Amino acid sequence: MAREVKLPRLGQGMESGTIVRWLKTEGEPVAKGEPLYELDTDKVTQEVEADSEGVLLKIVIADGEVDVGTTVAIIGAQDEDVSTLLAAAQGGNGAAPAEPEAVPAAEAEPAVEEAAAAAPTSAPEPTPRVAGERVKASPLARRIARERGLDLAAIVGTGPEGRVVAEDVENVDVAPPAPAAAPAARAEFEVVELTSTRKTIARRLTEAWQAPVFQLTVTADATALVATRERLVELMRDGDVKPTVSDVLTRVVASALVRHTAVNANFVDGRLHRFATAHVGLAVAAPSGLVVPVIREADRKSVQQIAGDRAGLVSRAREGKLKLDDLEGGTFTISNLGMYDIEQFVAVLNPPQVAILAVGSIEDRAAAVDGELAIVPTLTMTLTCDHRAIDGSEGAEFLRTVKQFVESPALAL
Amino acid sequence: MPELTYREAVRDALGKALRDDESVFIMGEDIAEMGGSMAVTQGLLDEFGPQRVRNTPISEMAIVGSGIGAAIQGMRPIVEIMYEDFLTISMEQLVNQAAKHRTMSGGQVKVPLTIRTQGGAGWSPGAQHAQQLEAWFVHVPGLKVVFASTPEDVRGLLWSSIYDDNPVVFFEHRTLYPIRGEVPEKLEPIPLGKARIHREGSDVTVVATGRLVHESLQAADEAEADGISVEVVDPRTLLPLDEETIIGSVKKTTRCVTAHEAVTRGGFGSELAAVIQHGAFDWLDAPIERVGAKFAPLAFAPAMEQFVVPHAQDVLAAIRRTVARA
Repeated sequence: MAREVKLPRLGQGMESGTIVRWLKTEGEPVAKGEPLYELDTDKVTQEVEADSEGVLLKIVIADGEVDVGTTVAIIGAQDEDVSTLLAAAQGGNGAAPAEPEAVPAAEAEPAVEEAAAAAPTSAPEPTPRVAGERVKASPLARRIARERGLDLAAIVGTGPEGRVVAEDVENVDVAPPAPAAAPAARAEFEVVELTSTRKTIARRLTEAWQAPVFQLTVTADATALVATRERLVELMRDGDVKPTVSDVLTRVVASALVRHTAVNANFVDGRLHRFATAHVGLAVAAPSGLVVPVIREADRKSVQQIAGDRAGLVSRAREGKLKLDDLEGGTFTISNLGMYDIEQFVAVLNPPQVAILAVGSIEDRAAAVDGELAIVPTLTMTLTCDHRAIDGSEGAEFLRTVKQFVESPALAL
Repeated sequence: MPELTYREAVRDALGKALRDDESVFIMGEDIAEMGGSMAVTQGLLDEFGPQRVRNTPISEMAIVGSGIGAAIQGMRPIVEIMYEDFLTISMEQLVNQAAKHRTMSGGQVKVPLTIRTQGGAGWSPGAQHAQQLEAWFVHVPGLKVVFASTPEDVRGLLWSSIYDDNPVVFFEHRTLYPIRGEVPEKLEPIPLGKARIHREGSDVTVVATGRLVHESLQAADEAEADGISVEVVDPRTLLPLDEETIIGSVKKTTRCVTAHEAVTRGGFGSELAAVIQHGAFDWLDAPIERVGAKFAPLAFAPAMEQFVVPHAQDVLAAIRRTVARA
């Protein structure tokens, strides 16, 4: 019995996904659990596995964006007739063009009469444009489209003979980038389509920008932090991932978070969700753009466990193989640009989280220690806080704890 | 402000120039005792005498030619060609002489001559007494061309034409002589080369001359009832042309209709359309529509005459075409 393969909802809030490519071809046998196609959601690109066994009889949607629940393929027994299922799927999908049905002559005739009768009174429809036909547009419409980067071919003209007039261009809601409008050769710039990840970054960070934020900066003596890490490296066992200073920092920040739950929170629908456990997101530069995989329960893990989790997440991020599970549920984010020798910077909120810590490089600086001038490794950290959720004093108290833990990691126990 | 008819406004300017300036004189066919075929110069003979208000033989070539001679000799003659159809007979003098002397003499000679004439349909004068030939003269370097549509404009523009040092062909419209309009207490010159915006609007600009200015204003009122906002601009001087005002208006409204009584083909509207498409190309949201007479000699039969020349309804139809949707 043939079965429809529908686009699954892979995470909370997922409404649609973009099929990147199929990993099986039509007619190929498929085992349950085998990767079937690659799906790009707004968070991650991942392989979707077959949920039944049989032969991939029909790929209904080869690529492109589809809504959750849409039939994308049919799996069944070899040579099984799928026309009924296919018709139902295409009818249900709506987007796919339905086969024109033969209308009995007796039924067709009244319809024609009706149309003829209605014609004089109803407004004529805009003339549909044949593919490849030159776009008729007024000079003004062309200028506006040019200025806004709109593709005239994508705009329905309501002027005489389907001419695109200024009003038609002005009625285009947003300005989507004109696909392939710029010729590849001789272009002065490269046109790059946004990946789903990039679009998500753009959308979420634009949202984040609307939040009223303030920043607090603190500089800590990193001597003990560095020493702790060195001691942990010495104690590594076979198969362990080498811990980094960042891993130690993640651990102590997690401890600080559970002591200051005002900072370990999400701002959702005008309410604060404060968490007793710290799920710490790490900003990672992946090829498709910034991703923030989450180390779960970082306050309850050893530095060695955090290092192991971190290594797995980072390598999956670089390979584009993060699952939605890896990305959801963060309560706080650390963005570390220390490896680029950035001394300090300001990070943008990662909604719905209410705070994010921007970590710079460890630098040897001249400092006064017990009244004497000394060279000490220092770490500068800047906390960005959503002022709707956090007041300055709460942010400052959290940051003071972070500084104490960095300077005396044992206090984080 | 006082009110004058278009006819009285022309007479007022002529009278004042004759009164103030001894170098001014007028001549033409039957302009003295008869007061002109359109009664424009009535009373001027009595006030200024036969030396300065002169009847001429029926020779348009002689009328314009002698005007040129007097102008070169330092006078400011105003000659009248009874019907603009008869300008054809004076073409050699106008085109080859009047228009050329100033440049061919390297500026040693100037021709401050005003050639008044009138024309236009609406009273069944037939194919040889009602043409609108203003576009022909816009093609000739060295001439200036004026076409006034209101009492105020005709008075102020005639004054500027008399005192311009170049030959000016000054067109009046037969059917406008009886219209009344306010004029300033004191005669104020209206500079040549300045258009007049009669009515402001935001959807379509109608650039109209002569009688069609009034037809266009009526069409604009009717269009407004349909929610179409029409701007009506009268160039008043066709040569030199106030391109800045006209192009500025079309850039604002993004659509344009040209309107005149002359035949559409090769008419002044064609020149306007060329100027506008070049100056406002990226602002045009519809093809420029031209309104003018059908390409046919005017018929005597009143119904046929009305059929050939354009009216407010033709302007309105053109306005609607510019804002049309499929």
